[in-house]
Amino acid sequence: MSVKIELIAAPGCGKCVAAQEQLRAIATAVFGDNEVVWREVNVLKEFDYAVSLGVLSMPAIAVNGELKFSSLPTPEQFRTMLTPLESC
Amino acid sequence: MHTIGKVAALAGVSPDTLRYYEKEHLITPASKTDAGYRLYDDEAVRRIRFIKTAQHCGFTLSDIHELLTLKQADSACCEDVRSVAIEKKLRIAHKLQALQAMSHALDELIERCTGGEAATDECPILAALENSLAETAR
Repeated sequence: MSVKIELIAAPGCGKCVAAQEQLRAIATAVFGDNEVVWREVNVLKEFDYAVSLGVLSMPAIAVNGELKFSSLPTPEQFRTMLTPLESC
Repeated sequence: MHTIGKVAALAGVSPDTLRYYEKEHLITPASKTDAGYRLYDDEAVRRIRFIKTAQHCGFTLSDIHELLTLKQADSACCEDVRSVAIEKKLRIAHKLQALQAMSHALDELIERCTGGEAATDECPILAALENSLAETAR
C-alpha cells in the first residue's frame, strides 16, 4: 500500500531540511522504497490547501490528506503513527 | 523622560492600556520617580506604536510578546518572524472559513422565512433553531 506524506512548511525552514531526511528514511523503512510519495508543500504557494488540511502552525505533516502533526515529530512519534497504516 | 500620561498621549493610547501592557510584560518604564510614578523614554513610545501596528495586523498581545522577544534575541532571524506572520495568516484564514460557514447557515435560515406578521411561534427560523438544538441534544 502506498502512502502520501506531505511536509507543509515555509520555504527556507532550516530545521525541516535536517529532519526531512530522517523522517523520509523512516517512512521508506516502514513501507518500502516505492510505496512512499513524499511531497514538500510550500505553504505560501499552496496556502488554501494548507488551510483545508487544518494547518495552523508549521512545519506540519499530513498523511494521506489528513493532518497528523502540527510540529516536527520525533522519529519515534513518526514511526508510531506510520506503523498501523502499514497493515491497512 | 515622559510621565505615563504624556507617553500615552504621544502614542495614542490610554494610561490604563499602558498599565495593561506592563502587566503583560510588553513594556516596562525606564525608571520611576521618588514618589513611585512611572517614567518612560522615547523607546517606549516606539514600542507602543509597534504594538498598536501589530494589533492592526491581527496579532494578539501574546503574538506581539513573541515578536518582541524575537526582535531582541540574538539567535533569531527574519525567517522566525516570517513564520509567526504566516501562522497568523493561517489562523485568520481558518476564522474566515468559520465565518463563511456561519454566513451560509444564516443564508439557509433566511431562505426558509418569508417574514411577514405571523406569530413568532410559526417563525421558520426559530423553529429550525429549535429543531437543530433538539437534534444536538439527542
